[in-house]
Amino acid sequence: MTPVYDPQAALRHEKKLLLHKRVRNLIPAAPFVLPGLILACVFVIYPMLFNIRISFSNYQIVQRTMTWVGLDNFAALFTERGDRLLLAIRNNFLYALVTTPFIMLFGLVFAVMVNSLRRSQLFFRTCFYLPVITSWVIVGNVFAYMFNAGGAGLVNYLLKDVFGLLPEYVSWLNRTWTANLVIWLLGIWKNIGWAMVIYLAGLQGISADLYEASMLDGASRTQQFWRITVPLLKSTTFYVLVNMIIGSFGVFIQVMMLTSGNPRGTTSVLQYLLYDKSFNLFEFGQGAAIGIITALLVLLTTFVLNKVFHTEGGKTE
Amino acid sequence: MKKLFALLLTLTMALSVCAFASAEEPVTITFWHTYGDAETPVIDEVIIPMFEAANPDIKVEAIRQSGDFNQMLVTALGTGVVPDVARVDITKTSAYAKLGGIVAMDEIEGFDALKEAVLEGPLSTNLWNGHYYGLPLNTNCKAAVVNLNVLKELGFDAAPATMEEFVAACKEKAPGQYKLNVSGLGDWDLYPYFWLFGGKVTDEGFTKASGYLDSAESVEAINTMLQLHTDGVFTIRDVDGTPDAWDGINSEYAMFFEGPWAPFNDENGIVPALIPTWNGKSASVVGGENIVIFSGSEKQEAAFRFVQFMLSEDVQLELLKVGVIPTLKACVDSEAVQADPKWSVYMKQLESAQSRIPTPQASTVEQLWQDAMTEIFIEGADVQSTLTSYAAEIDAELAK
Amino acid sequence: MKHLGKFLFWVVLCLSVVIFILPFWFMICNSFEEFSYVLPNPPHLFPSRISFAAYEHVLSQSNLPQAALNSVVITLLTAFFTVLVASLSAYGFARIDFFGREVLFRLYLFTLMLPGFLGIIPQFLVLQGIGASQNGLIGTKAGLILLYVGGGICGNTFFLRGHMAALPKELEDAVKIDGGGHMTTFFRVMLPLALPSIGTLAIFCLQGTWEEFFSAKVILGGVQSQITLPVMIQSLKGAHATRWEWIFAASILAQIPMIVLFAVFQKRFVVSGLAEGSVKA
Repeated sequence: MTPVYDPQAALRHEKKLLLHKRVRNLIPAAPFVLPGLILACVFVIYPMLFNIRISFSNYQIVQRTMTWVGLDNFAALFTERGDRLLLAIRNNFLYALVTTPFIMLFGLVFAVMVNSLRRSQLFFRTCFYLPVITSWVIVGNVFAYMFNAGGAGLVNYLLKDVFGLLPEYVSWLNRTWTANLVIWLLGIWKNIGWAMVIYLAGLQGISADLYEASMLDGASRTQQFWRITVPLLKSTTFYVLVNMIIGSFGVFIQVMMLTSGNPRGTTSVLQYLLYDKSFNLFEFGQGAAIGIITALLVLLTTFVLNKVFHTEGGKTE
Repeated sequence: MKKLFALLLTLTMALSVCAFASAEEPVTITFWHTYGDAETPVIDEVIIPMFEAANPDIKVEAIRQSGDFNQMLVTALGTGVVPDVARVDITKTSAYAKLGGIVAMDEIEGFDALKEAVLEGPLSTNLWNGHYYGLPLNTNCKAAVVNLNVLKELGFDAAPATMEEFVAACKEKAPGQYKLNVSGLGDWDLYPYFWLFGGKVTDEGFTKASGYLDSAESVEAINTMLQLHTDGVFTIRDVDGTPDAWDGINSEYAMFFEGPWAPFNDENGIVPALIPTWNGKSASVVGGENIVIFSGSEKQEAAFRFVQFMLSEDVQLELLKVGVIPTLKACVDSEAVQADPKWSVYMKQLESAQSRIPTPQASTVEQLWQDAMTEIFIEGADVQSTLTSYAAEIDAELAK
Repeated sequence: MKHLGKFLFWVVLCLSVVIFILPFWFMICNSFEEFSYVLPNPPHLFPSRISFAAYEHVLSQSNLPQAALNSVVITLLTAFFTVLVASLSAYGFARIDFFGREVLFRLYLFTLMLPGFLGIIPQFLVLQGIGASQNGLIGTKAGLILLYVGGGICGNTFFLRGHMAALPKELEDAVKIDGGGHMTTFFRVMLPLALPSIGTLAIFCLQGTWEEFFSAKVILGGVQSQITLPVMIQSLKGAHATRWEWIFAASILAQIPMIVLFAVFQKRFVVSGLAEGSVKA
C-alpha cells in the first residue's frame, strides 16, 4: 500500500499536535495565570454563580437558606407597582444617550485645545482631570449641596439672583427631569477629563507631518480638525464610546447621594434599585435578579455596538 | 519570581497575624450606634469608662456608624460578623427580628425587671411575633420649633395653642408667605400633619390600611394640607423648593416640627413648643432607638449586662444632659426632666405622639406612603382614589 | 482675524476651566466657614473669612490621621499586588498559547459586565473563611487588599493583555534563542517594555483604591482603627444634621495626594501608557 496523502488526516494530525502543545503549555502558563485565576475564582466567579443562584431563590440571609422559587423574583420586578425596574432601565439608557455625546465632544475639544498649548499644558490638563480623581463620595456631597432647593443652593443663587436667568428657584433634586439633569451633569462633568486624557493619548499618535503637509495645501485649522484629527481618532473614539456606554450601567453613587431614586423611582437606575432592594427592603432575590438583568443588558449593548460600529477598531482588544 | 511570591505570602501572613493578635483577657463586646456629634464624646469618655469600671471583666468597643448604618447591619447579618449589641432605629427593629438577626430578649433572665422599668409606648416597638426583641434605649418625638420674633409679627406673644388661630393669623397678616414648613413627603415628615388634621394610616393593631388611610377623615386631612399649601401658609421644601427649615426658622418661618436635636436658640427666640391643636387635639410622631443583642454574638451574657447598664438611671440621666430623652419611667418623672423647659415640652408632646407602623415591611410601607404623597402633592393626583389604591398595597405588605 | 481666533480660544478655555473647578472652589470657600449645621443663604461664592478651624477639627478631633495612614497602606499594597498579579496573568494570556485560553479570557470579559457590589455578601463570606479567627480577614487591611486585588483582576488582566499583545516579539525571540524561559522573558523583556502601561495601571489602581467607599465600608466599617478616608469622611455626616465645613475640609485634605500624584505622573504614565496599547490598536 502506498501512503496516500490525505489532507483531511494531515489537518487532523496537525490539530492534534497543536492541541497537545497547548495542553503541554498549561505547565509554563500556570505560574503566570494561576495566581490571577485563583483570585478571580474566589472574588469574582464564585460570587457571580452565587448570585445567579440567589436570583432564582428566596434567600434568607441570616439562616443562609435558599428556596428555589423559579422566576418569581423576575416576575415580581416586572409586575411591581410604579414600574421601578422599567424606569431604572429607561434612566440607564437615557444616561448613556445623553452623557456619552457630551463627554466625547468636550473630551475631544479640550484635548485638541490643551494639546496645542505649550507652557500651560500641565495646568489645564490637571484642571480638567480634577473631577476624575475626586472621589464620587466627595463630588456627590458637593453636587447635592450646590443643587440645593431654594436660595441656599449655589446654582439657584447664581441663575436667579446673580444672572436673573430663572424667574424662580428650582427644586432641582425633587423633580424627575431636573433631578435627572443634575445626575447627567455630574456624570458629564466627572468623565470629560477621562475622555480628554484618552484623546490626548490618541493625538500623540498622529504624525505632525500630516498637519504640516495640509498647512502647505492651505487648509485652515477647522479643516484640519475635521479632515485629519477626527478621522484618525476613529478608533480612540470607539474606545471612549464603548467605555462610556458600558460604564453608564454602573451609575450608582450619584443617584444614591442626590435623589435616592425619588420622586417615585423616576430618577432611579439599575444599580441603585439593586442596592435599595437588597439592603433597604431585604429582597435579596430581587436584587440578584436585577444584577442578572443588568448583565444581560450590558451584553446586548456590547453586541449591538460591535455590530453597528463594525470597524477595525471595533475589536475590543 | 519565587522571591516575589514568598514576599507576597509573607506580607499577607504578616498582615493577617496582626489582625488576629488582638485577643485580650477580658471579654470585649462591640457596640454599634449612631449617636450624634454631641452624644458620642459622652458615650466614649463617660459612659463606657463607667461601665468598664463597674465591670472589670468586660471591655466595650463602641463604634459610631453613619447614615449607611442599616446597610452595615444587613451585611453584618448576612455574614454573621455582627456586633454584640447595637442601638437601632425603632422602625427597623422588627425587620431585623424577622430576618432572625437579633435575639428575643424576653427569653433572657432579668428582662422582666427592665420591661417593667421602661415606658410602654417605646417598648411596644420591640414586639414582633409575640416576643420582645429589644428594649427602648431612648425615645423622642417631634414638637413644634417656633421663632418667637416671627410669631410676634403674626400677633402672638407665645406659641399659638391652636392651629386654627395660627392659620387665621398667617392668612391675615402674612398672606402667601409660607410660615409653616416641612422638609419632605416621607412618613417622618408628614405623619404629624396627617394625624394632626385627623388622618389615620391603619387600625390600632396595624393590620389594615383600607378603610383607614382612604377614610373620609384621611382624605379631609390631606385636603386640609393641600388647602393650606394653596393658601400660602404651609410649604413643603421638596415640593416648593423653599428654604430648609433649619435655615428659614431664623428669618421667615414661624414654625416647623422637629425632634429635640433641633437648632434651638434662646437669643434668637427659637424655642420648643407643643404642636398646636387642630379640632382640640395635638399630634406627633414617635422616634427613638432600641437596644438589641445579636443572635450571632457569642457574648450575649456580657451584652445583656451592658443593656442593663445602659438602662440604668445614672446613664439615662447622663445622656439626658446632651439631649437624649430617657425611656425609664423613673427618669421621666425626675426633676431634671420636669424642670427643664425643653424636656417638659417633649415629654408632654410624647403623650399625643403615635408610632409609625411597627412591621418588618416598614421600609416598603414608607416607600408606598412617599409614592402616594408624591402623586398627590407633586403630580396633582386625585386624593381619594390615590389613597384607596395605596391602602390596598399597604394591606398586602401588612399581611406578609 | 488671527488675533480674534486666539482671543476666543483663550476665552473658551478659561471659561471651561472656571466651570470645571467651580465645585472645588465652592468646597474650598465653604471649608473656611462655620455653619453650625445651617447652610448659608445666600451661598458664599467667596470665603467670608479665612479660618482653618474646620481643618483643625478634622485633624485633631476625628480619626482622620489614622484613616489617612490606613488609606496609604491599603492603596500602596493594593497597587503593588495588582500590578504583580495582573501583569503575570496578562503575560500568560498574551504570550503563552495554552489550552482553554480563549474560553478563560471570554469568561474574564463576561465578568466585567456584572455590577460590582452585588458580590459583596459572597465576597465577605470568603474573606471570613480565610484565617483562623472567627471573623477571618474581615476588619483587616489584608482582607480589603485581597478583595481589591481579586475583584479587579479580570479587568486589569484585560487592560494589560491588550497592551502586551501589541508589543513586538523580536526581543523575546532573542531571549528564547538564548535558552531563556518565560520567566526570564517576562522579567527581562516584557516588564521593561510594558512599563508605561503598567505605570498607567498602577496609577488608575492607586486612584480607584484611594476613593473606593462601598467595600471599604463593609469590610472595615466595624473596626474603627482600620477605616479608610472615604469611610471616615462619610461618617462625618450626622444622623440629623451635618457640619458641612468638616466634610469639605476633610475632603480637600483627602484629595491632595491624588492631585499631586496625577500632576507628577500624568505625562509619563497616564498619557503615554494609554497611547501605546489598545487605544491605537
